[in-house]
Order: sequence, then structure tokens, then C-alpha cells
Amino acid sequence: MSNAGDNGSLSLVLVGGSSGSFAIFEEIVRLVRKPLSFALIFVLHRGKSSTAVLPKLFKNKTDVAMSEPYHLDPIESNSIYFAYPDYHLLIGPDKRFYYDYSDKDFFSRPSIDATFLSAAVSGIPVKAAMLFSGSSADGAFGMKALAEKGFPTYVQNPAEAESPRMPEQALLTYEKHQVMVDGGLFSIINQILQ
Amino acid sequence: MELMEYDDLEALIVRIREISGFDFSGYARPSLLRRASRYLTTHKMDLPQLLLHIEQGGSVVYGLIQELTVNYSEMFRDPDFFRKVKSEVFTYLESYPTLRFWVAGCASGEEAYSLAIFLKEAGFLGRSLVYATDLSNKALTAAREGVFTLGNARTFSENYLAAGGMQSLSDYYHVAYNKAVMLPELRRNIVFSMHDLTGDGAFNEFQFISCRNVMIYFTLELRQKVFRLLYNSLSMLGFLCLGKRETLRYSGLEDHFKVIDSTLNIYQKIK
Repeated sequence: MSNAGDNGSLSLVLVGGSSGSFAIFEEIVRLVRKPLSFALIFVLHRGKSSTAVLPKLFKNKTDVAMSEPYHLDPIESNSIYFAYPDYHLLIGPDKRFYYDYSDKDFFSRPSIDATFLSAAVSGIPVKAAMLFSGSSADGAFGMKALAEKGFPTYVQNPAEAESPRMPEQALLTYEKHQVMVDGGLFSIINQILQ
Repeated sequence: MELMEYDDLEALIVRIREISGFDFSGYARPSLLRRASRYLTTHKMDLPQLLLHIEQGGSVVYGLIQELTVNYSEMFRDPDFFRKVKSEVFTYLESYPTLRFWVAGCASGEEAYSLAIFLKEAGFLGRSLVYATDLSNKALTAAREGVFTLGNARTFSENYLAAGGMQSLSDYYHVAYNKAVMLPELRRNIVFSMHDLTGDGAFNEFQFISCRNVMIYFTLELRQKVFRLLYNSLSMLGFLCLGKRETLRYSGLEDHFKVIDSTLNIYQKIK
């Protein structure tokens, strides 16, 4: 496979969430400052008929380039990406995005596991993976795979999550994730993003 | 969940080829890896067990290939796409005395039946032929039967109405044994047949080709070859429709098409 472009130093920050995560995503987008030394990839559960275009919704929050990528688009540093509704978004070892339309994971497409698992085996360094509020077990396998590859993984404190199940399941599946407990959530996220 | 690595996947691809002759080498690795990992998980196996399992050949390896290649669809998937086909493409095709449509990679026929319904409502069905092809005989058998579960039919009905359908979708099927059976008159102008986009050549010339969410499963290199086949199968000013997250980019044929709708990925061959 031909590698996409000259982005040899590419690294990823992965963010997953479901119900109760939208406001957190919005705040993360607001926190990041250009130029980002990584590609920031968000996977948010959304209905297939969701017509909300997240890059448009978040347009006024940041001046970093945002998109819902197309199949085979190169993954670029200093960019924010959002998984598109009703497809799984996969990270290719050739540093391109791939779409998949196979079964849902935990009734979700996009699924967080699909993106996170593909990142774990892609060979692309993951600077951080974060998992927030949600009411399913999606993300737990992907987070575990990333942690076992030696990448830093962070879960929201279930006690603070609007829907605690998703961070809880991630911790049940793998107990050594770092739980974002000390200090305010966004100051921790800010440190991770530096 | 079993986590497969790319080396494991390559070993599996080689073994499947040796046992069955089926060659996955042109398939996009990320989605193939996802499907193979899911196969291991749902069948409660690890890779060595799977490699041993498929030694049996026959229906075992065939079942694996089916699961790795199966595509899902819905009737009137992406209603806004069908709405646009009706408003932009059909008005353009109105003056043609005969029309040929190709649904390339038709899975269980949902897209072909959707197209036939809209052609009927536009009054074109009598002078149209819809060729619907797929690699999978199993999928084609289901497509020919035109039987869908009633649960799916509800989703299809919503899509149909959102796409601008003029009646009720239930006017196009009857219910038997808790299934929706598509009316035979829709079938009359659909030809379901086996065709391998990756190996077989052009077999007709079409005014309209829908190949949505099929090429996402091919490597960049194979995808270019399939694009060339679709291009060669289109008449001049014929329409090519791709899935919502696909584009003509990286196809090598960007200059040969005019963009009709960049969001819904409808293109027209102009040279």
C-alpha cells in the first residue's frame, strides 16, 4: 500500500464518547490550539439520520481544520476529524482513513471499538486515547488494545460521567487505564493535549 | 475480542487462497482485518484454530469467505440520494427510448428494487432494464427471491417516504409468513447475475451505474482498476453514483466526469 503523503511523524489523539459526551467534545475542540502536533480524531455515537455536520457545529470553537473525512483521505497532523454517521471509521497502516459498513458494535455505527482497534494495529503512534460518558460497553476493547500496545489511555471518572457505563466497562475490561480524577476534567485534558 | 495483526491477516489471505482459490489480496486491509477479527470473536476461535478449521475446505472456507465479503444494504438507503436521482438524473434520462441501469455489487437486491420502484413511478420501468450484479451467489439467490423481513421493511418504508416516494412502499410488496415479498412485476425488468468487479470485464453499456459502498472494500490499486471498468461501462453522459463517503479522488479518472452532486457523489461522464 502506498503511504499517504509526507507525514512520517504523524501521531494520533483518539477521543470516544456517547450520550453525555457532546459537551465535552465541544470543550475539547475549544481547548486545542493551532498548530496541533497530532491528528485529533473524534468518534461520537450518532444516529444514522443525524444530519448535524459536526465540523459546522464546532466551526466557531477553533481555527484548526476540521472535517468528516472521505474514504482514503490521508490522515494529517494539525487536523481534527469526526467519524461520519452510519459508517465505521478505520485507521489504515498507510496513514489513510478507511470506511467500513459491516455490522454495528454494541448497536453503534460508527463504533468506538472499530476506530480504536484499527488504530492499535496501524503502527501509527497514539499519543493518547480518551473515553468519556456513554451508556454502552463500546470502546472497552479498543481502549484495552491501545493500552496493551503501550499507548496512554484515559477514561473519564465514571462517578462524574453523565452516563457512567462506558468508562466503567472500559475499567472493568482493563483496570490500568488512567482515570481522570485529579483536578478539573478539562485541565487534565489540556495537559494530555500538550 | 480477538485482536488480529496485519501479519496474521496476510497469513490468512494466503491460506484461503491455497485452499479455495479465492484471492483477497486486492481487498482493503483495514476493513478485512475488522471482519476477520469479528469472525474469530463470534466463532470463539483464535487464529491458529481458524487456520486449522478452514483446512476442512468446502463449506467451511466458503462460509468464511461469505462472511468476509458480505455487504449490507437497505432499500432507499440515503433517501436524499434517491431524491436527487429522481429530480436530476431521471429528468435527464427522460428522452431516452431505452434505458440500462447497473447496480454493481447489489448484495441482496435492495438498491435494485428501490431503483425499479422509482422507475415505475416515473413511468420509465417498461423501457428500462436494471442489471444487478454481485460476486456472491448466495446474495443473488436472496435478491431474486426479493424477500425481506418485516422489521427491515419498516425502515425501508421510512426511507422510501423520505426519498419522495409517491405511494406507500407496502403497495410494492405483499406480506407472507411475516416477510415482505416484493411484487413480481418489479422483478420483470431486473436481471440479477453474477459478476466479479475485480476480475470480469465490461458486459454492456449503461446510462446509469450505482456502485455505492462497494469500492471501499478494495485496495487503492484495485479500486483504480474497478473505476476503469465502470468508466468503460458507461455511455457518454451516463451517470455514476458512489457512496456518501466515497469520491472520485485517487481514481485516476477525475477529469472524465462532471460533478452533479458533490455531497451525494453523483457524477456524469463527459469524456
